[in-house]
Amino acid sequence: MSTNLAITLPARSPRREEPQRRIEIVSTRSQRRARPKPLYAIIVVSGLFAVFIIQLLLSIVVSDGAYSISKLQQQQADLTRSAQDLTEQVDVLGSTQNLATQAESLGMVLSSTTPAFLDLATGEVVGKSKPAEGDAAGAMGGDGSLVPNSLLGGEETADPTATVDPAAGASDGLTPVEGGGDAAVENATGGIETGAPAGDATGSGVASTNTLPTPITG
Amino acid sequence: MVQDSRRSRRRIVLAVLTLLALVSVFVVRLVDIQVVRADALNAESKDRRSIAVTTYGARGDIVDTNGVVLADSVERYDITASPRNSVPKGGFFWIKVDGERVKATRDEVIQKLADVTGESFTDIKASLDKDPESDFAYVSKKATLDVRTAVRALGIPWVTTQTHPDRAYPLGSVAGNLVGFMGADGPQAGLELSANSCVGSTNGTETFERSADFVRLPGSTVTTKPVVNGGTLKLTIDSDFQWAVQQEIADAVQKYQAEWGTAIVVRVSDGHIMAAADAPTVDPNDVNAAGSIYDLGSRLFSTPYEPGSTFKTMTAAMLIDAGKITPTTHVTAPSVLNVNGGSIRDVFSHGTAQWTTTGVLSNSSNIGMSILSEKLSAEKRQAYMKKFGVGEKTAVKFGGESSAPMSDAKNWDPITEKAVSFGQGVLATGAQVAGIYQTLGNGGVRMPLTLVEGCEMPDGTITDLPSTDGERVVSEKAASETVDMLENVVTQGPLSSKLTIPGYNIAAKSGTAQVALPDGSGYGNDRVVSVAGLISGDNPQYAVVVTLVKPKIDKTSGAAAPTFTKIMSQIIKTFRVTPSTSAVPTIPIIW
Repeated sequence: MSTNLAITLPARSPRREEPQRRIEIVSTRSQRRARPKPLYAIIVVSGLFAVFIIQLLLSIVVSDGAYSISKLQQQQADLTRSAQDLTEQVDVLGSTQNLATQAESLGMVLSSTTPAFLDLATGEVVGKSKPAEGDAAGAMGGDGSLVPNSLLGGEETADPTATVDPAAGASDGLTPVEGGGDAAVENATGGIETGAPAGDATGSGVASTNTLPTPITG
Repeated sequence: MVQDSRRSRRRIVLAVLTLLALVSVFVVRLVDIQVVRADALNAESKDRRSIAVTTYGARGDIVDTNGVVLADSVERYDITASPRNSVPKGGFFWIKVDGERVKATRDEVIQKLADVTGESFTDIKASLDKDPESDFAYVSKKATLDVRTAVRALGIPWVTTQTHPDRAYPLGSVAGNLVGFMGADGPQAGLELSANSCVGSTNGTETFERSADFVRLPGSTVTTKPVVNGGTLKLTIDSDFQWAVQQEIADAVQKYQAEWGTAIVVRVSDGHIMAAADAPTVDPNDVNAAGSIYDLGSRLFSTPYEPGSTFKTMTAAMLIDAGKITPTTHVTAPSVLNVNGGSIRDVFSHGTAQWTTTGVLSNSSNIGMSILSEKLSAEKRQAYMKKFGVGEKTAVKFGGESSAPMSDAKNWDPITEKAVSFGQGVLATGAQVAGIYQTLGNGGVRMPLTLVEGCEMPDGTITDLPSTDGERVVSEKAASETVDMLENVVTQGPLSSKLTIPGYNIAAKSGTAQVALPDGSGYGNDRVVSVAGLISGDNPQYAVVVTLVKPKIDKTSGAAAPTFTKIMSQIIKTFRVTPSTSAVPTIPIIW
């Protein structure tokens, strides 16, 4: 490292003339300006300290974050697990076998073999509907489930006493199964007739529903 | 002065030498650590600084055409313990019961584990005592989430839980014959096996560094092998409809004490399978409950049989297409037809009968069909049969599917040459018979039979799209005339009362086939009874084939007819088939 600072004094002249006169080298202005100032040193050192402290704080925050990440990941994993578990249970409860068993335990029966169709475009009823017979087989054809599902095990069936009373059903406004077939068709047709003008007016209002006729009853 | 400079030079040399010696010591040590012992040291340090874990890829779902899940990946948990640490040093452990820390002896802890896992106390204890020095023993395998939660709540320090990916089939045996199942070593049967390239997943691994208290250090995770999740396999079947069909065929098998039965419903316009039912069949959740190994797959595809009279429809269609006959061609059928090498009889005895082609079909006369088949050479008839898909695997390529190979027409003896026309002396699977009726329902164009609608990979790409290339087998006229004849089979044939659905022109042909004895000595008393047909005759939309093999109660096709009609009714309800708009075109059956 080169420097322009006067580190050592120049060697004394070998001749000693007039020892009472001493000569000093006076620094030039630029030399004086170039001298180190304590302020700078303080700034640099405190800067270094600041960096160290920030780094320390950062690493504390990061490791603290690691713990919360770990905790949240654990929580996420737990929630994912219970979501999967619940989905699994819903899928099993929604299985066809379970729905059929529940339907049968609620007193539902197989519909007659030929349903009637309501054509939404014309309001026309296609086919003849027949009410289910009183002694009709249950929702599973009277033989119980022949398509086993070992996941169902001992699932509870719905409480038949809660809904099987036909009088209660009728008073609730539910259409009773017996003898209700034709009435239901007429009602449905009437409903469409009142609804039809709106569809015609918009042109495409009911177009999407025209493709598939809806079974009414049976 | 001279002395001074010499001394200082010696000092410099000494310093340089010392430095060199030091540096060489460091270099040697560096090489030793970095190169010579690198592997050993790395291995030693690996477990201390980072741990590797398996990340599980999710096997793809198998869903029906409406997205109802048929096969689903689920997580189960293995509860494991460290027997070495299961002996308390102070005589007891601190565990948590209902959130409170309590003292418990080893036996009390095991009893607690037994209570929550449902395993027996003795089993757990035996597992722990088997190798007391071991660090690993199973307490319970494939436990549910509830058990895992309960075990972890106990806070037993030497008990851990591990994820064990598993497969669940929420609908049980609905389509169990098609979906297949998984074993301990991977897919075992059905689509799980044949579509493994779609739904299969690959587990990955990742390593991360951890702190003293097992917390993952941020930024230290390295995925050493990425996870590949499986795609979603979408089938053509409708699960609710499949259930209804399975319910009906299982009911018939039970009622008529048949050995087994199958039913298949195919949409004629594109060959998509709406339902393919086998009875008995497998519940993929409980494979061990299946009675026989043949119940594990689908006999519809795997097991060919002599189909019998349902083949007469195909013979009639090819003869019409070749211009040899019409629906009203006159046939004079003797009571017995003597052929070189034997004789051909009908199921019921009759004198010389004057039937039209339609009459031959509605009376299901083997003699009549044999006489008609003489109008076309055996080779040409076989060429037609091959175009109908007989003798080759269907496009489904189901696991274990049989092609039901045919012997070459040149090698047919005179009896076989006739018998093939009415479905004896030739084999076919239920799926192949369905293909014949699909072809006739679709105006003579055979569509590839399709079970898989497609596979959606996790990145959204769709693969395994089915082919939509049809193949013309017979002319549209030949197909529609054949279907018209089948409508007359229902209106004028002996099974009329069983096959009729008011309002619908059902087209159907029954079959009562003899079953060859296993020793090859001829035919025994067992029968394969079946009904194949279309709904509806004036506008065919769905083809249905119902087959009962070796029924004990009723050995005629009358046993299969009620099931056929019930499935037809279910088609009407599920797929909203509207009633026929025209009457059945009546064709005379006698002349």
